[in-house]
Amino acid sequence: MKTKSWITSGLLLLVVAIVLAGCGNSKESSTDSATNSKTLTIGNATDIESFDPHNNNNTSSEAVLVNMFDYLVKNDNEQKKVPVLATSWEQVNDTTWRFKLREGVTFHNGDPFTAADVKYTIDRVAKDSALKQNSYFKSIKEVKVVDDYTVDMITDGPDPLLLNRLSKMGAGILPSKYIKEKGIDAFLKSPVGTGPYKFSKWTKDDRVELVKNDKYFGEAPKWDTVVFRSIPEASTRVSELLAGGIDIASGIPSTDVERIQSEEGKQIVKAPIQRVLQLILRETEGTVTADPKVREAIDLAIDKQGIVDSIAGGAGIVTRTSVTPGNFGADPSLYKQTLYDPAKAKQLLQESGHTGAELNMTVSSQYKEYAEVVAAMLNEAGFKANLEVLEPSAFSERYSSKSFKEIFMIGIGNSLFDASNNYNRYLKTEAAGETDYNNPKVEKLLQDALVNMDPASREKQYQEVQQILAEDRPAVYLFQMEGIYGTDNRVKFTPRSDEMFYADDITPVNG
Amino acid sequence: MKGYIIKSLLQVIPVLLLVSLIVFILVRVTGDPVALMLPETATAEDRAVLTEALGLDQPLYKQYITFLGSALQGDFGTSFRYGESALPLVLERLPASFELAVAAMIFAIIMAIPLGILSAVKRNTFTDLLISGISVIGKAMPNFWMGIMLILFFSVMLGALPVSGRGGIEHLLLPAFTLGIGIGAQMTRLVRSSMLEILNQDYILTAKSKGLRPFIIIMKHAFRNGLIPVVTIVGLQFTSLIGGTLITETVFAWPGLGQLLVTAVNTHDMAIVQASVFVIALIVIIGNLLTDISYRLLDPRIRYS
Repeated sequence: MKTKSWITSGLLLLVVAIVLAGCGNSKESSTDSATNSKTLTIGNATDIESFDPHNNNNTSSEAVLVNMFDYLVKNDNEQKKVPVLATSWEQVNDTTWRFKLREGVTFHNGDPFTAADVKYTIDRVAKDSALKQNSYFKSIKEVKVVDDYTVDMITDGPDPLLLNRLSKMGAGILPSKYIKEKGIDAFLKSPVGTGPYKFSKWTKDDRVELVKNDKYFGEAPKWDTVVFRSIPEASTRVSELLAGGIDIASGIPSTDVERIQSEEGKQIVKAPIQRVLQLILRETEGTVTADPKVREAIDLAIDKQGIVDSIAGGAGIVTRTSVTPGNFGADPSLYKQTLYDPAKAKQLLQESGHTGAELNMTVSSQYKEYAEVVAAMLNEAGFKANLEVLEPSAFSERYSSKSFKEIFMIGIGNSLFDASNNYNRYLKTEAAGETDYNNPKVEKLLQDALVNMDPASREKQYQEVQQILAEDRPAVYLFQMEGIYGTDNRVKFTPRSDEMFYADDITPVNG
Repeated sequence: MKGYIIKSLLQVIPVLLLVSLIVFILVRVTGDPVALMLPETATAEDRAVLTEALGLDQPLYKQYITFLGSALQGDFGTSFRYGESALPLVLERLPASFELAVAAMIFAIIMAIPLGILSAVKRNTFTDLLISGISVIGKAMPNFWMGIMLILFFSVMLGALPVSGRGGIEHLLLPAFTLGIGIGAQMTRLVRSSMLEILNQDYILTAKSKGLRPFIIIMKHAFRNGLIPVVTIVGLQFTSLIGGTLITETVFAWPGLGQLLVTAVNTHDMAIVQASVFVIALIVIIGNLLTDISYRLLDPRIRYS
């Protein structure tokens, strides 16, 4: 039949076309021997938000921008402050810091880096309340240009966190002359910084391409091109890694870890990150969780190590504090510690007379599995746990309007690397309506620490707070989360706790 | 015909106004974007400051008036996420979405026409059963699963095609197949039933009795008339593909309008939601109009009624 033979040949043609297309497709590799250009390709779950460091609020955006923009001061792998665009700094008085700036640095467009750029950058983020990073920098009242390579920063009252602010995401130094002349919109389309890599191309929801900056003041950039691809579906990210399309894949689900480990030429690398999964409990009068015995029972009822092992695929570290190592004020005695005693939990609950008490737990859908296990464990202990799983934006609503009931589960990050950022919520004014936590001793310690410029005594203040909170339990900490990355053996990558991708810290193997 | 076109075009304006009003209200009453823009450690004061800076504390009617005024000048607002003007952001996604939609349609047509004709001609035989079976499976398989399976087989196992992203034609094959097979399955059944109806007509019997070869009968006389409902479906489905391909876009990391719109909805990025819905509504309306016109051009029975 003629029609049939048409169809058969049509289908054959299609198959041949696919195979031919496949043969013509060369896999991207980190070293293209023909042209000897080195390309690093990283696959992330999200695209960047914009090239405005002041208006991004997620680590995956900043992880790209840190290659293009330099801070004055940077955190090394151990979160110790190292000089970058500032070569030295000193505290002149309680509210004034003097920074000496590096000479001989140029922006990607050739403009020289001077104190004027520092003033412009900090003034912008500190004064424009429509920028997402504004709240972190608004304590910097004034930036004075002393000379081309010296600036004074004056804070609004003593601010022990100035260096933290200047080394956190959003602190990249912008080119003042370029922006003043061409406008911020032109800058966003063609961004310019002082970093080791410069902007080449951005296709939204697809990829960001950076090329090396030959005139970088520091060590010569290791890569010719760095590509950050946006691949929202986790299984596709894993497939790209396995097929050799990317060198590093971030956000690997725990269920894919074994698969990548068992694949030749690929491996999994992990590192603890700045996010602690926790339950925040309401202590408003009349709530069942206002009873300290009930809160202790909740803590003891949950097998946190078990949750890490089973649901997180081992990618977590139990902790009794949210101030994890690397954060100023950390108390090591509460880290890698956990309490689990289901029998005692039951007993405490009975003693408090609240057996069978209803606990309404609100959680964002991304933590659904954890919440389900926790609810089951609470039921084991004699509670009646009701789970409310919400879409992220709906959860955000409830969270900001403080309208959760007894418990909500949340993973809280900390971009300041300082205990104060974890504990703002327990200050009396902030806690009102949420935890309604009110411990005068803690209040005093926290208020004092906010303006304490002596690191040694300040650290002691936060450590004391942690010990008290571990007993008071306004929150029950489950575990510190870990970032799971899949890498191709052709690169060597050690992940950072701030989840940044510094391309020059990623080295090609054999190349 | 001309009067019909003009009348249809005039109806576009009130429809767009209504759509924009509905979207405007929905996006503002369903949630607070500020909470999503700031980290969990932000204080209530931080949120209040940002809310005011973005003009979100104004009463709803004032916000709408501001929006309408700017929209009439082509300014749909500034995206909270990107800090850029919303309309250009939406428009720059259209080429990618069109590319995927066209490729999916081409695949669907290549699949549906031969298979549909074949199953009509070979009605109630094993061939017909096989093709119907393929249609049902193609329609029932979820996009998501299909895409991931195709990637695993063709890209990871065989290494024949790239996994994801937009690039040359080799990047288009798997996403187009994933998207097109559901539509193709639907179309196959449509071609089949349309052909069956026609093959039963008297004029086909006349052609057969004249001794014309079966191939000529099918292709020259039957198929052209059977094409009419297919054109309708192609037109209607194509417009729905422009904004409705989120799942395929997500699986294949395809930078189309679907991803932009859904991310914007999840983060309450109002300007982008408004601009996207407006553009999609416009495309659907015009697409439907074009389909309508071509339908009338193809079928003289409608044209003169």
